[in-house]
Amino acid sequence: MSSQVALGALTPRQANLVEAAAARIFPTTDTPGATEAGVVVYVDRALADVYPELRALYASGTRALAGEAKRRFGVDFLRAAPDQQDALLADFEAGKIDGYSRAGEFFETLRTHTMEGVLGEPVYGGNRDLVGWKLVGFPGHQFGYDDPYINTVVDVPPKAVARPYATREEWDAQSNPE
Amino acid sequence: MPSQTPNRPKAVDVVIIGVGAVGGIMAKELASAGLEVVGLERGPMLELEDYGSKDSIRSTVRRDKAEWVRHEPISTRATSAARSQKRYTSTPMNNVGGGLLIWTGSATRFMPSDFRVATEEIAQGGAVRANADMTGYELADWPISYSDLEPYYERFEWELGVSGDGQANPFAGPREKGYPLPPLRQGGRNQLFKAACERLGYHPHPTPNGILSQSYKPPAPYDTRIPERPGCVYCGQCNNYGCHVQAKLSTMWTAVPVAFETGNFDLRTHSKVFRINTDKAGRATGVSYFDEDHNIVEQRARIVVVASYIYEASRLLLLSGSGKRGLANSSGRVGKGIMAHGDVRYTGIFDDFIVNGFIGPNSGMRMDDFNANNFDHAGLGFIRGGTIGTSGGGAPVERYDAIPPSWPRWGAAYKEYFAKYYTRMADVASHPETLAHQDNYLDLDPNLKDEWGIPLPRTTFRFHDNERKMWAYLGDVQQRILREAGASQVWGSPTNRASRWAGGTMMGDDPASSVVNGYCQSYDVDNLFVVGASVFPTMTGYAATPTVGALAYRTSAYIAANDASF
Repeated sequence: MSSQVALGALTPRQANLVEAAAARIFPTTDTPGATEAGVVVYVDRALADVYPELRALYASGTRALAGEAKRRFGVDFLRAAPDQQDALLADFEAGKIDGYSRAGEFFETLRTHTMEGVLGEPVYGGNRDLVGWKLVGFPGHQFGYDDPYINTVVDVPPKAVARPYATREEWDAQSNPE
Repeated sequence: MPSQTPNRPKAVDVVIIGVGAVGGIMAKELASAGLEVVGLERGPMLELEDYGSKDSIRSTVRRDKAEWVRHEPISTRATSAARSQKRYTSTPMNNVGGGLLIWTGSATRFMPSDFRVATEEIAQGGAVRANADMTGYELADWPISYSDLEPYYERFEWELGVSGDGQANPFAGPREKGYPLPPLRQGGRNQLFKAACERLGYHPHPTPNGILSQSYKPPAPYDTRIPERPGCVYCGQCNNYGCHVQAKLSTMWTAVPVAFETGNFDLRTHSKVFRINTDKAGRATGVSYFDEDHNIVEQRARIVVVASYIYEASRLLLLSGSGKRGLANSSGRVGKGIMAHGDVRYTGIFDDFIVNGFIGPNSGMRMDDFNANNFDHAGLGFIRGGTIGTSGGGAPVERYDAIPPSWPRWGAAYKEYFAKYYTRMADVASHPETLAHQDNYLDLDPNLKDEWGIPLPRTTFRFHDNERKMWAYLGDVQQRILREAGASQVWGSPTNRASRWAGGTMMGDDPASSVVNGYCQSYDVDNLFVVGASVFPTMTGYAATPTVGALAYRTSAYIAANDASF
């Protein structure tokens, strides 16, 4: 893993596979992707805190991902070439993985969680440094907008606020999480 | 130790079941008329900490508000041959103020013709001219007209605060007064919609909105006790979020505080009513409910008002009374005539225009050129229609699946797409009217029960041909608008998702075929009132809220004027 954090639900091996697969779903290009956003942290916390019933799916899904890469390409998924990883993930998406009936379900879950990890609130572990919001042009939790920004880029710095606020002062007093 | 309500507290004048849109207004009105009112709300009174979060994961992905309704599942199935499924829906909500907490604010009055669908379509031959097959459909006129409701629409708009332009919609009914507040500020999405509709010859106008465009306090002769609230700040987070500045119309911060101020209103939260009690003569004597600790409390009252969402309205009547049919059901119509809007939504992306859809308001412009009987249906194969308006917006976690069908759903090309177009997409959606049909009804589930052991309300519901033909027609118009607005790609489709329910305790002129009269008063039990969208004989192509509010005001006035007879 690119960042060493304490895991709450995934094993280190599962975390590496999740991170590698998420990096193909929302890749790092000339801009940050799933890896920089911390998607694996989002997934791990989500499984630990709110979706414990999905742990088994992640366990079997990552196992199938690794097993299929080994069988097809003779290498570990982590060491497969990006286009090999993509081909494999496309077959998961299509549900065409012999011997693993939950391939489609695993792919959809991983894709959903990847996007939530890139675009959700940083308090859940993803969207680190608001890279996801900066990428798509979402200013996050603004108190409001004084201008309608008609056909104009919204040039206010993005902000994530952890606690509800009723007034501009209460909003102003909260800063982005470290 | 919390003070405990005795098992048989003293009798009061009025007990109201549900303190949402209707219950909040009626509590204020009846308590102000000097009646002693108890409001029984099955959910809590929420604080800013509960509802004010702008966290998109919490509010739209993990749906914390659905967590609040986890005690109140419903049961659904498509046909009477199908097996029913337990389902959780946050539409009615479970809190003081009800669904007004999370609504988008769309607050249009019904049109005069909306109250006489049977006359126009059957007696005057509309359905025949349209070549529409009405087999199985149950069309009915309302027993009241637009002009009966007009003064009460005005009270709703001027007391609770609606922003709009009373002159802008040529299809709207006549109004004594305009809206108390000018329309909300219009963002890019609404400019695109307005310009495209005008070029196409349609009649776009700002959506009358239950969100304050400026700070507001009702002037005399309206209720000046209602607290002042600030105007909208355009944060864009209305749908599924509570309003952090309280600009969005809710009885929670308008009518309910005034009800308390009278000294005549006793609000009991976490109170789940399971039966309306009656005496030997068949008159209502009050209700029985479970308090927060699951103790049974019997609250006696001279007048009982059912002010819940449609599921609970029919369910409570079916659970009460002594016979197999339940209470107030000599017509056999309780649970019949349920309706729900379909969902027809199209999305466009714009290469030459930055939409910034995340900026409010969620619901900005609309047009009624294809609503009701505002257009020629000759040979179209369906009757009625729906309002068409701007929609969409939302945080990125709500929009990442808005992808043209031919485009990859993941990988570098998808990333490039979403990074470019998140701020450049807009939706056009319609509220297509669904008509009552004999196949659709609400009853008690014979197997599934809630945690108190009470049968779940079961909806048996599916859409039929009139709806599907209407969706296709409205969908074509919606796509035309997006293309005219300059969208480089347009996609979408009607879905079978049903929302905004109505019906089940229909109002009508004939006690043999309806449950309540035009004052929402039961034909069988004269001191029982059922108030809400459940009384609608037709649901129209609009959202229900202002009409529900007007009915609450009108029924309150009727009860106060005839109090001596109960």
